[in-house]
Amino acid sequence: MSVKYGILTSLFRQRHHGYELKLEVDSLLGIKGKINPGQVYTTLDRLMRDQLVSSPGWDDQERKLFQLEARGKDELEKWLLEPVPYYTAKEDFFFKWNCARKIHFAQEKQMLEQQKEMIIKEVMELTKLKTELLLQGEENKYLLITGTLLHLEADLNWINQVENRSR
Amino acid sequence: MIKVTNLTKEFVQGQERTQVLKGIDLHIEEGEFVAIMGPSGSGKSTLLQLLGGLDVPTKGDIQVDQHFLNKMKERERTIFRRQKLGFIFQNYQLLPTLTVEENIAFPLHADGKLTNEKNKWIHELIASVGLEGLNRKRANLLSGGQQQRVAIARALVNHPAVLLADEPTGNLDRAKAEEILVLLSTFHRRKKQTIVMVTHDIFAAGFADHLILFKDGVIDQVISRKEEDYAKYLANFMA
Ligand SMILES: Nc1ncnc2c1ncn2[C@@H]1O[C@H](COP(=O)(O)OP(=O)(O)OP(=O)(O)O)[C@@H](O)[C@H]1O
Ligand SMILES: [Mg+2]
Repeated sequence: MSVKYGILTSLFRQRHHGYELKLEVDSLLGIKGKINPGQVYTTLDRLMRDQLVSSPGWDDQERKLFQLEARGKDELEKWLLEPVPYYTAKEDFFFKWNCARKIHFAQEKQMLEQQKEMIIKEVMELTKLKTELLLQGEENKYLLITGTLLHLEADLNWINQVENRSR
Repeated sequence: MIKVTNLTKEFVQGQERTQVLKGIDLHIEEGEFVAIMGPSGSGKSTLLQLLGGLDVPTKGDIQVDQHFLNKMKERERTIFRRQKLGFIFQNYQLLPTLTVEENIAFPLHADGKLTNEKNKWIHELIASVGLEGLNRKRANLLSGGQQQRVAIARALVNHPAVLLADEPTGNLDRAKAEEILVLLSTFHRRKKQTIVMVTHDIFAAGFADHLILFKDGVIDQVISRKEEDYAKYLANFMA
């Protein structure tokens, strides 16, 4: 999913060859999203087949170039305007916790404590990172990290709530 | 540089003596940003007041840049505080009927007339805390976040050796708090401003280089983020 829209986004302003696209998509996915090149090429094949992307030929170093088609642009803009649902179990920890409750997992408390510790560590590290990015003028990256931090804050509050109710 | 040795503070009310600080040793290097965390009533504000020369210890030494605060006479301490220390508080503590620039200039008046140079510096500060155009606005007409920006500028007007901040974001929502913390962090990184900040909030503490965990009048642990297990310790401490 994200690879597809990452490619469409990267091609929005200019043509790219495959490896450039991988780097672009990596950077869109942020600090943790390192995708493998194979994923980019299979996705490109599908996008070509569906005529969202086409190839205008090769660059001066014989690398195949890709460009965005009108259909691809429409598809991207449609996706950008779809609100993202929150109340799904897709987020790993909520899913895991739900499973734990389902089986009356005896070590739920430990699970929550460990998750909390993980969140705190992320908070400390991301806060440091975002300050550095801001001072380097990386406004977009800074804003993305503040968004992640707000999610972490909500998760931390939620774990505290679960723990309070389990006392 | 701040050096504290065997710092003790007792409050006496009638017959009752309460020991609030129970022998604290602490070392803060120049240019560090330190956060102090701990439960309510553990003595964090009391410590900050002592570091800032707003109160005197019962026992022990407090050194700021080689000067012993505890050995100064009251008047000496007041002058030292005005010239070397900056304070910001949770409730801003501005003079409500004075304007932004008058509030910021306030600590300078004790040293005589405002020179052109000082006025220029005040305007620079107003710009660096993001309050351009509000120079002449009265403090009580500003929002909380704006008031705290004025308080930061006022605290920095004398180029203090240390900026002491007692829950500076405690009254602000997350977005406004973020702006204040970013501001403090910018002064820390760009101007090597030494900052000691008390906070309850792990999201604020994350801006600091080191955390001092405080419990019942003693330092429970000093946490450097370079240590492997710091998150585990923090999680336990906050539980
Ligand atoms: N002037 C005073 N006279 C008597 N007791 C005092 C005085 N100032 C503080 N105390 C007591 O000292 C203890 C520590 O207070 P302090 O304000 O330093 O705590 P704190 O860690 O800053 O708490 P909080 O997180 O709630 O701000 C409290 O029990 C308080 O009642
Ligand atoms: Mg306090």
